[in-house]
Amino acid sequence: MSLKEKDEHDHLGWMEEKQLSPIEKGYLFTLIWLDKRFRVVDYLELLETMYYRVNLQMPKSHTEQYNLDNKFWYWYPLYALGSFSTLAYVVAALSGALLGFYYTPSAALAETGTVAYSQIAMIMQDLQFGFMLRSIHRWSAQVMTAAVFLHMLRVYFTGAYKEPRELNWLLGIVLISLTMGFGYTGYLLPWDQLAYWAGQIGVEMALSIPIIGEWVAQLVFGGFSLGAPTLQRMYILHVFLLPFVVTSLIAIHIAIVWMQGIAEPH
Amino acid sequence: MEVPLRLYKTVTVFSTLIAVFAVVFGFLLLDAAALGTGLLRQLARSVLGALSLSPADSLLSGLFAVAGLLSIAFGAAVYVLGTRFKATEMSADQE
Repeated sequence: MSLKEKDEHDHLGWMEEKQLSPIEKGYLFTLIWLDKRFRVVDYLELLETMYYRVNLQMPKSHTEQYNLDNKFWYWYPLYALGSFSTLAYVVAALSGALLGFYYTPSAALAETGTVAYSQIAMIMQDLQFGFMLRSIHRWSAQVMTAAVFLHMLRVYFTGAYKEPRELNWLLGIVLISLTMGFGYTGYLLPWDQLAYWAGQIGVEMALSIPIIGEWVAQLVFGGFSLGAPTLQRMYILHVFLLPFVVTSLIAIHIAIVWMQGIAEPH
Repeated sequence: MEVPLRLYKTVTVFSTLIAVFAVVFGFLLLDAAALGTGLLRQLARSVLGALSLSPADSLLSGLFAVAGLLSIAFGAAVYVLGTRFKATEMSADQE
């Protein structure tokens, strides 16, 4: 395979022997002129041969071998959900890093509401592209949660969790929980009414745990009622602790899939 | 219009590329016409300023809008012309 020219098709000679209208002639001439200079078609043809050669070397999959594709093909789009949630995670990480430039996790009083809330208002109303930036962050978070959940359903219903992939399934359970933790901590950051009362529910849920409840509330929410320490902790969880933990676990999760290969349907 | 396969590839690849760029660029121009700010508009302003021209905002908007629509129409025309061609191998199963 090389970029050495093959027997070049004589486009112009071909055009000579045809009866073409001036528009057709001009159109084809322009495109041929471009093709000779920017050899996009040659590169695409290279990709085409590479595609077929790679596929020739692949062993037959289980579904091909037993002719299951006619029953199984409708599952295939759902095999993209893992990559899709990773993509949503990357988008959320990038937009979140940009949001971090403008957000302040402070429950101190500002002119209107708290500093945290007025920063959100500033991002939404005054910052160039701020509305878009926060929307991208929010939507990618929603999409990631949904995609992760659907990914789990796909894994369950195709039996991909079975031996030898049990550990990765457990790791996936940890990851879906951490994803929801990401969502919850991020939900509290605007420190508006919605966030405040969601936080109240969180504290009470923590306190309802037998024996260690008070300790958990203290650790996660910084007290038994909401306040500046709660917001501070949610912020650190959201932008420091969870990103490191979740990114590492995603890397391990994907590495294991890479090593074990994608599961054949059971 | 039937053409050899290699020429058909040239036509599809380049007509699609040109059409996509023309249409997207057309929308950028429309954007520049509607927003009144943005890179394209400032660029045009500074180029015209270098020629010591300072056209009225409404005139500039009108020009941008016309240029945008023309660019989109051009893209559409290139695409439609491109669909008029097919490779020799394709003629058997159609029509």
